[in-house]
This record gives sequence, C-alpha cells and structure tokens, in this order.
Amino acid sequence: MKNGLKRFLNCKPVRAIGPNRVVLLCVMIFLCLLFQLFSALLNRGNAFLTYERAVSAVNYGYFIGFMALGATFVIATGGIDFSIGPVMFTAALISGYCFQRYNLPMGAALLLCPLIGMIFGCVGGFLVSYLRLPSFITSLGLMQIAKGIGSLFTKTQNVSWPAETDPGGWFRKLSNIRIPLENGRVFNLPTGLLILIAVAVLCAVILNTTRAGRYMVGIGSNREAVRLSGVDTRRWEMLAYVICGTLAGFAAIFYVGCYTTVIPGRGDTFNNEVIAACVMGGTSMSGGVASILGTLIGSLMIAIMQEGILSMGLSISFQYALTALILIAVVFADIAGRRRKN
Amino acid sequence: MDLMDEMILEMRGICKSFPGVHALTDVHFDVRRGEVHALMGENGAGKSTLMKVLSGIYRKDAGTILFEGKEVEFHSPREALEAGIAIVHQELNLIGHLTVAQNLFIGREPVRGVMIRDNDMNAEARKLFARLGMDIDPKARMSSLTVAKQQMCEIAKAVSHNAKLIIFDEPTAALTEAEIEQLFALIRELRAGGCGLVYISHRMDEIKEITDRVTIMRDGRYIDTLITADSTKEEIISGMVGRVIYEDPKTESRCPSDAPVVLKVERLNAGKLVRDVSFELRKGEILGFAGLVGAGRTETLRALFGADPKQGGEIWIDGIKTEIRSPKDAVKAGISYLSEDRKRYGLMLQKGVAENTTMATLKQFLKGVFILKRKEKDAAEQYIGSLTIKTPGADEPVMNLSGGNQQKVVMAKWLLRDSSILIFDEPTRGIDVGAKQEIYELMNRLTEEGKSIIMISSELVEILRMSDRIIVMNEGRITGELDISDATQEKIMALATRRDGQKGGAA
Repeated sequence: MKNGLKRFLNCKPVRAIGPNRVVLLCVMIFLCLLFQLFSALLNRGNAFLTYERAVSAVNYGYFIGFMALGATFVIATGGIDFSIGPVMFTAALISGYCFQRYNLPMGAALLLCPLIGMIFGCVGGFLVSYLRLPSFITSLGLMQIAKGIGSLFTKTQNVSWPAETDPGGWFRKLSNIRIPLENGRVFNLPTGLLILIAVAVLCAVILNTTRAGRYMVGIGSNREAVRLSGVDTRRWEMLAYVICGTLAGFAAIFYVGCYTTVIPGRGDTFNNEVIAACVMGGTSMSGGVASILGTLIGSLMIAIMQEGILSMGLSISFQYALTALILIAVVFADIAGRRRKN
Repeated sequence: MDLMDEMILEMRGICKSFPGVHALTDVHFDVRRGEVHALMGENGAGKSTLMKVLSGIYRKDAGTILFEGKEVEFHSPREALEAGIAIVHQELNLIGHLTVAQNLFIGREPVRGVMIRDNDMNAEARKLFARLGMDIDPKARMSSLTVAKQQMCEIAKAVSHNAKLIIFDEPTAALTEAEIEQLFALIRELRAGGCGLVYISHRMDEIKEITDRVTIMRDGRYIDTLITADSTKEEIISGMVGRVIYEDPKTESRCPSDAPVVLKVERLNAGKLVRDVSFELRKGEILGFAGLVGAGRTETLRALFGADPKQGGEIWIDGIKTEIRSPKDAVKAGISYLSEDRKRYGLMLQKGVAENTTMATLKQFLKGVFILKRKEKDAAEQYIGSLTIKTPGADEPVMNLSGGNQQKVVMAKWLLRDSSILIFDEPTRGIDVGAKQEIYELMNRLTEEGKSIIMISSELVEILRMSDRIIVMNEGRITGELDISDATQEKIMALATRRDGQKGGAA
C-alpha cells in the first residue's frame, strides 16, 4: 500500500505536475464528496455538486486567484503581504467612487484599479527591500493605511459598481458573459476564469523562465548568496511586491464584476485565504519554492470550501475560522517537512 | 597512583566523530584541584569539541570521563552545571535587558508563591560579589556593564552554582590589558580556593602567566602535556603545529617580483576587525592570509568585496581607483569571492546545480528577458565534467551534494564569471583530502592563466603549501608579511599571536 503510493507519486505525469499538487487535487475531490454528503445531511437534502454552486465557486475563486498569484511572488522571496485584501478593496472603492462621482469613463476606472494596487506595491516593496523593514509589520501597516485611505476617499460610504444593464456595465463581461440559451436557461461563460488562466501563464513564465523570477526565488532561497553573486537583490525583491500590489488591484475588477458592492474598511479576511491558497499549492512560507499551478489549485480549493460551508447551511464565520485553521495546518506541514529534510 | 586523589577531572580515550570527520581520537585530559590547565591547539584541533563532549553538548563515541572520581556522562550543559562543571563562553550568554542579579539567578529565582523576591536575590548577589572581591552593582542592567564586568558576572554565576571545574573559552578576546589583570586576579583566587580551571586561549604570554600545565592537541589527537613553567613558547608552538607535513611546502614564490600589481588596498577600515589594512596583490600570485579565527581576515576581504560596509579605505584595481560599495560593484570590477561558509553565503541549497552555477553570470544566458535553460544546463554540465562534481545531474538540488562537491559548485559559479581576482576564503574547510588536492590544483592552474588569488586559510600547512606571499593578521591589523621563501609555521604563529604594539619574540 505504502509502496504503491510511493510508486504513484514517482510516476512521470505526477512528477511533472508535482506530487504536492496531485495530493491537493485528490483532497479537493474528497472534499467535494464530503460537502455533498454533509450538505444533504445538515441542510435538508441540499446538494453541493450543482451547476449554480460551481459558477459561484469559480466567481469566488478567480478574484482570490489574482491576488494569490501576486502573493506567490512575495512569498517566493521569503516575504509576506497582509495588505493584499484591503488594497484590493481600496482599489475597488476609489475607482468606483471616481466612476460614480467624477464621471470617470469606465475604461479609465478599470485601469485605475491595478494602478492603485501598483502604488501600494511600490511603497511596500520600497520599505521592505530598500529600508529592510520586516515585511510582516510593513504589510500590516499598509493594510490599515489602505483601509483608511479607502474610507476617507469615499467618506465611509459603500460604493456600488453599475449593474450589467446600466451605462458602463459592460465591464461585467470581463468576469462573466451570460449567454441566453433557447430553452430559457442562461449559459455562463466565465471570462474571468479565462483571463485568470492567461495571467497565471504569464506569471509562470515570469517566475520560471526570466531573470526576474530566478532572482526572486533565489532571494527567498538564500538572499546573501544571491547578493554576493553580484546581484542587486533590493531591486528584484521590490519588483515582487510591485507585481503583488498590481495583481491585487487587478483582482478588484473581478471582485466588483461579481459582487457589485464594496464596503470601506474591509478586505482583510481575504488575506488568510490568499496566503493559504499559496501555501497549499506548495509555495513555501520560508521562501525559495514557488508554484503558480499550485497557487491556482489552492485558490480553487479555497473557493470550494467557501461554497461547501454555505451549502451545508453554516455561517460565513465558519469560513473565516476554517481558513485560518487550514493556513496554520499547511504552514505547519511546510515547516515540518523542511525540518525533517534537514 | 595517589595523585589520583587530587584529580577533579579525568578524560581518558575520548573519541568523537562526525559524518566523515574524526573530530577526536583517543584524547586524554585531566585537571587537578587548584590548578589552571591550558588547552592549546590550532583552530580545528578539537579543543572546543572536547569541551563540548565534557559539558554534554556532544555525546562521546568512546572513552571515559571521571569527575571527582566517579564516572559521569552528561546529556546537557544543564546536567553538567548541576554536577559542578561550568563554561564561561567566548560569546557571553547574558541577557542585556535584565539586571545583574536577575542574570545570575535566571532559572532558579528565589520565589514566594509566584512572586520573585528581588530583594533576596540582590542581597545574595551582593554577598557573592563581596566574596569574590568584585565591585559590581547587582541592580545594574547587564547591558550597562563593560565586557570585562559581564565576564566577571559569568564567572560569578559559575561560582554561585558551586562549580568545581570552570572552563574559560578564550576569555580575554575582548578585554583590555587592565581588565585581563582583573580577570587573572580572580582566576588565581579561584585556584587558591581549590577549583579546577581549564583555560583555552591562543595568547602565548597569557598561557605562560596564568597556567600551571599545558595540554596540546593537534588534528583531534592528544599530543603532550607540559608543565608550563618548565617549557618554552617555542616548545608549545612546535607541539601545536608540528604535524607531519605530507605535502611539501612551497619554497619560493613563483610570482616574479616585478609582476604588475592588480589590486592595491590602502588603509581599509570596517567595523572593529578591520583596522588600517593595506596590501597589494600581483598578477599570477597567490597571497595567503594567515591568522587565528577572529583575526579579521574574512572581515577584511568581505569589506573589500563590498559585502559589508566600510568606514574608509581606497582600492585600486589595475592601477585605477575603484569604488566598491556592493558585491555588484566588486563583481563588475572583476573580483570573485568564495565565502568560507558556502551554505550561508554561497549556495541556494534547494536549487539545482545549474541554477547555482549561473547565478553570477545570468546575463550571459539570456535571450531578451528569458533564460536559455539549455545553454545554462550545458554550461553547468561542462563544469560538472571539468571539476568532477559528483551529482546525479545538473538539476539536482545542491543540498543533496557532499561538502566538497558543493564547494566545487561555488567554484564553478565564479569560474564562469572569469574574474581576474579571486578571493578564496577557507576553500578546503570541511572537505576531504581528495577534493582538497583538486582544489589546490585548480588554484595553481588559475594563477598560471594569469589570474590572481587571495586565499584565507586557518591551516598553516595549506598557507605554506599554496601561497607565494603571506600576510598575517591579528585583532584586525596586519602584524606581518612574509615571503614564502622565509616563512615557517613558527614565524606565522608568532605573528598571529602577537598583541597590539607588542614586538614578537622572547618569552
């Protein structure tokens, strides 16, 4: 049994994807079945494996996914970013507010989102890499600053992005295109998912085949060795935070594409989910190991858990606690695995 | 023998090996009551390992330890301390934020219920200091004391544990002349009180002044025990270094004295361990940096390389004044630095051989922004072949390689860079004999190609075998320069143990 498992984990296709990812996929399937069972038991015969749930999970998965892709770069360098969620919300708040109040064209408002994220990324990256502040504290500080700026800018009002039929509502097509079918039902083309996959491919290319990616992962593996090889580590470390911030801002477009309303002073609950998605996917909290594919699967996993909990009729608070619990568990697994190796 | 009654400690036939290294082979060591016994040897001779075996940090593989006539085996420093063996470490284990008394009684604070009775603690400490003739305020914050006073506290702590055997590991490294006198007065007092004391130091004059007997170790073996008063400095030094030299040392420099100067360093200053260091390096030369651990050799060359900030100094490369503010500048200027601690400073352990090999030269392997992995792998494989790096493949994570092969990967990284000046910091530390030989050959080949090498080594045999010229450092300064034709181990040791402003020589 144990040998069989070993052989399975060593076979070619599994090695290509990474055993970690394969295990994660298996856990995901198991979890789906578990949710199906418990939804029926706990929630009056409710079913988990439905089309609607799948759509909903994908919607949740892809804005988390954008953020997690960015976070993968930061975590690869051995850093951490707790400002991702609030930065995403702030980008959505400010650009949405500009659209509503200052009649900013929708196209410009959409561009503003990643731009705002990028500014936060630049500030955070500068503080961490050039001024050598711990990323943990820096990003916690930036998280509060992001929340504060978002609230001030909107005078603590909720911001609602236009509905699909309103002027400027075309942006929703970036997330989903709803195609009415002949039988009266609606087919949901998840454009957001397609864009996510495209961005993920881009990220994977950057991380695995460019100098930037090589240096960023190298910094996470052994900063001094990279620096003593004559590399300006500060520049490349900062770049990781800039990518992370930009993608957090970009995620805002897809958040509002599905959920419309943004509330000031929120967003921090996404941090745990994003970091858990990365670590579950095999990106190590101690840096030096990163997987874009893993991050994608991890994000999907987070979305499935969220749906599963709702499907079982439990409150969303369970989701927060459960994500935090899973984060602690996967980080423990990561560290324990490393300790055993040494 | 009735001398046995006096023995407080007897270690017989101690053996200890680590994977691939025999750290201690059949070592004997004993200490009498009321004696200061020096333990001497070069770096890596096994002194610290022996003391770590004694205090329970390491477990011995073979041998017996008798403490106060009973056979003992400690499993932790704490057990050793409870039995009466205390170590005063080179780096002090004190907590700066706490007061002197709090440090003394840490882990065994007098309590009433859950409350610590600070007054009792302070009174107890005051009594202790009075007994030892120390003038220290128990309520003072530890960080406010001088290093010497902190050391006194460490000793007082040992005494307060009723230690019968106290080990001093290079206690004077950070002390001034007057403070050393203070320390010696205290040591004499403890000796008079019947304590056994072990004194580890490289400073010959201190050994002569304070110790009764000297035990010499070399290469993890016991060499001899001498009565200090009856032996000369020269006898002790030759015991320490007089191993059979299995390779012939170089007898004359292969570098012509009119070879152009490729690197000139003037009045380099950085931190405490690099003071006004000036030297020159010639084309095709191997310049050896000798000295004891902590002499400032690594610090000097790290500062030169831009790895640590410097407070002053000028660097000329090929006659052109060059600013080096970071390793990036240094690498651009044609300097390579192979660090002494390759795991910490040289390698990305989880990453493959190829990735590590190209880290300093990645620009050569780019097409646009993309890395040409094929070309990278080819380059790595070429070095795997030419340096005979034993690895299953170019993608193998370097943490799975042996020390010698890891070192070769670091070398491959810098050879690929093709720098004209190479700094080798302890290039053969922790490497087996075969790999050592290959590294020596490589260094010779490099100088034949016209490259220049600075080699830091704590092994005198290595220094004498490889260098064309030798610079000796001690306490952050250059204490001497020797041409290989008239360098001997004794001369180097004398320069390496010479204290500031002191002229070497007579005992």
